[in-house]
Amino acid sequence: MNSLPVYLVVSALLFSLGLLGILQRRNLIGMLIAVELLLNSANLNFMAFNRFLTPDPVTGQVIALFVMGLAAAEAAIGLSIILALYRKMHSINIERAQRLKG
Amino acid sequence: MGSLIADPVLLATVLGTNLPFLSMAAILLFTRSNPSLSGKMSVGAIAAAAVCSIFLLAKLYSASPIQYHTLWLSSDRLNIAFGYYLDPLSLLTLAIVGVVACLVQIYSLGYMAGDPGYSRYYAFQSLFAWAMMNMVIAGSMLQLFVFWEMVGLASYFLIGFYYEKWSASQAGKKAFVMNRVGDVGFFLGLIWLVIGFGNLGIPELNHAASSNALPQSLLTVSALLIFCGVVGKSAQFPLLTWLPDAMEGPTPVSALLHSATMVAAGVYMFSRLFPFFAASPDAMVIALAIGTVTMLLSSTMAMVTYDLKQVWAYSTVSQLGMMVMALAAGGYFAGVFHLTTHAGFKALLFLCSGIFIHEFHTNDMRIIGKQGGRKLKIPLVCMTIGALALSGFPGLSGFFSKEAILGQLATQPSKIWLYAGLLGAVMTAYYSFRLIFHILLPKGGIEEKHHAEHAHSSHEHEEEHHGYIFWAMAIPVMILAGLTLVLGWIEHPLEHFLTSHVVQAHPVQHVAEHAAEHGGGGGWLMITGISAGLLGIFAAWFEYGRKGASRKGFLSYFPAIWKLFDYRWFLDMFYRRSLDTFVYGGLTSLFTKNDRRIIDGGIDGICLLTEGSGRVFSFLQSGMLQYNLLIMVLAAGAAVLYFLY
Repeated sequence: MNSLPVYLVVSALLFSLGLLGILQRRNLIGMLIAVELLLNSANLNFMAFNRFLTPDPVTGQVIALFVMGLAAAEAAIGLSIILALYRKMHSINIERAQRLKG
Repeated sequence: MGSLIADPVLLATVLGTNLPFLSMAAILLFTRSNPSLSGKMSVGAIAAAAVCSIFLLAKLYSASPIQYHTLWLSSDRLNIAFGYYLDPLSLLTLAIVGVVACLVQIYSLGYMAGDPGYSRYYAFQSLFAWAMMNMVIAGSMLQLFVFWEMVGLASYFLIGFYYEKWSASQAGKKAFVMNRVGDVGFFLGLIWLVIGFGNLGIPELNHAASSNALPQSLLTVSALLIFCGVVGKSAQFPLLTWLPDAMEGPTPVSALLHSATMVAAGVYMFSRLFPFFAASPDAMVIALAIGTVTMLLSSTMAMVTYDLKQVWAYSTVSQLGMMVMALAAGGYFAGVFHLTTHAGFKALLFLCSGIFIHEFHTNDMRIIGKQGGRKLKIPLVCMTIGALALSGFPGLSGFFSKEAILGQLATQPSKIWLYAGLLGAVMTAYYSFRLIFHILLPKGGIEEKHHAEHAHSSHEHEEEHHGYIFWAMAIPVMILAGLTLVLGWIEHPLEHFLTSHVVQAHPVQHVAEHAAEHGGGGGWLMITGISAGLLGIFAAWFEYGRKGASRKGFLSYFPAIWKLFDYRWFLDMFYRRSLDTFVYGGLTSLFTKNDRRIIDGGIDGICLLTEGSGRVFSFLQSGMLQYNLLIMVLAAGAAVLYFLY
């Protein structure tokens, strides 16, 4: 139970769910949450590899912490973009945002 | 730095030649708004420079040539040194430049008084003096070329000094462009020398050429190309028409330009490289022919013009032709000596004319004569002295140098050069005294001065003269007149000084020179020379001076010839035509086509291509973010599969 493949499988599942969410959800906030899932699956991978493969326990943790900070920043920017978009067209449905169509 | 203080010669050289530059920089940066301070600073700097140059001449009078140099560029076979080369020729020329420039600047204190561009004028005068002095003592041809161009630049500024006047700015441009034509040849000659010889040091070049270390083909080609520079700078045929136009600048500038600086640079460079040129007989013959043609053409032009300054301008061209003839005939001393005396009396003539022009606000000699030009005693007397020297009147400086040149021409195998020289001497005397008699004995006596006359004088003179300081102008003129009187008598010490270090290199030539001067033909030649001058003066007196003279000139009976001379042998028209046909019609239109079609067209084509392809592929941009994302994920997956298996 406590071995590397288990964590990797969980992380892959998490990543697939995130990808599915980002491709399938039409709600921008849902997409943003799916992105968080992607990031967390990557975090999980880092921690797992760190735990089982490297002698120095700090490396993976530092990266995971960085990713968390990044995710927070990304959420802030993403939310503000969504807010701006909402003000412009009173909707947060991604299908409505087609003005740049070629 | 320590050696600079310890060595008075080097100190004087550096200080003397660079003070004018400092004064220019100070004027341009700080004192533009304070004209009187600018003027004083510039005159002070040039006076110090003149003192330094005379000190150097006195100090090194009997010393052998001194060279200071430092390697500037060195690679494989190429060595270019920068530095100073102080030999008799450069010391003498340095002193001429210093003294004449100093006198001209003092004169300008009076002439330019109150001019709105006073500070600018003095800044450019300083630049001019600085460039010329550095050119004179340059130790290598490249350094000489750099300052040669600076001289050209400064003269461009000064000729176009009244830039708001269309003709002045055109004249500046013409001088600049015509000089560039010659300088291209000069520079190609230097490149040719660098490729073939690899050293541009002046003593090295002269030594190599006189000891036959250079192949004749290299020598002739590079000598002819370098001679192009002389043709441009010293206004030789066919690039001679810029100099008469250069009188659009203020008169003191013409005085400086025509005597010691700009045009003297070409002849100076010729004599600087004299052993080099002398080693190529072919180049010397071509130079001799060009000098002769120049002298005859410009003398004829001077015989018909009524413009005071233009007469002297043409005469400068013809005297320069004379110097080139002398040098090309192998007369090193004759050429340099004529350069020296000419610098004195031509500056004198121009400065005197400047006083007349300043007083009467016109360049036309007939109007000046009618309005009482002869009442100005000092300039008239001085101008007569200058004109006598120019015509080779015995006892004045021009006489000695002209005799030396004629003596040199007489040694040539073909006598045609000597006859051309004599013909030139007759014409020179004729046009000089045509001018003098016009002012001294005007047709129909002197009229009362009418101010209304100023308005419809044929050459409307737009220089604005606010003030008038007569003595600042008269004193330099008198000094120059005194110099003209005495300069000829120092011929032999000067000859000893100049040739003592060349003798070793050219024993044969020197002997020939002496044989010509003291040999059988000497006395006969002197009499012929003097009578040529007197004949010209007499002809001028007969037509303009005597009572009941027609005051028209014999040329007016031949209107076609008059027109030919008056239009400068149609040289300008020829240049205009060929410029229109070849440059504007041919080259320019080609370049325009290249610019429009190829460069512009190419860029337009790239723009069109980008825009068009953008339109074609824009269907990919569906506006559905998630489809794009899906494609990206699929592509990434495909890439992963590809790399794994």
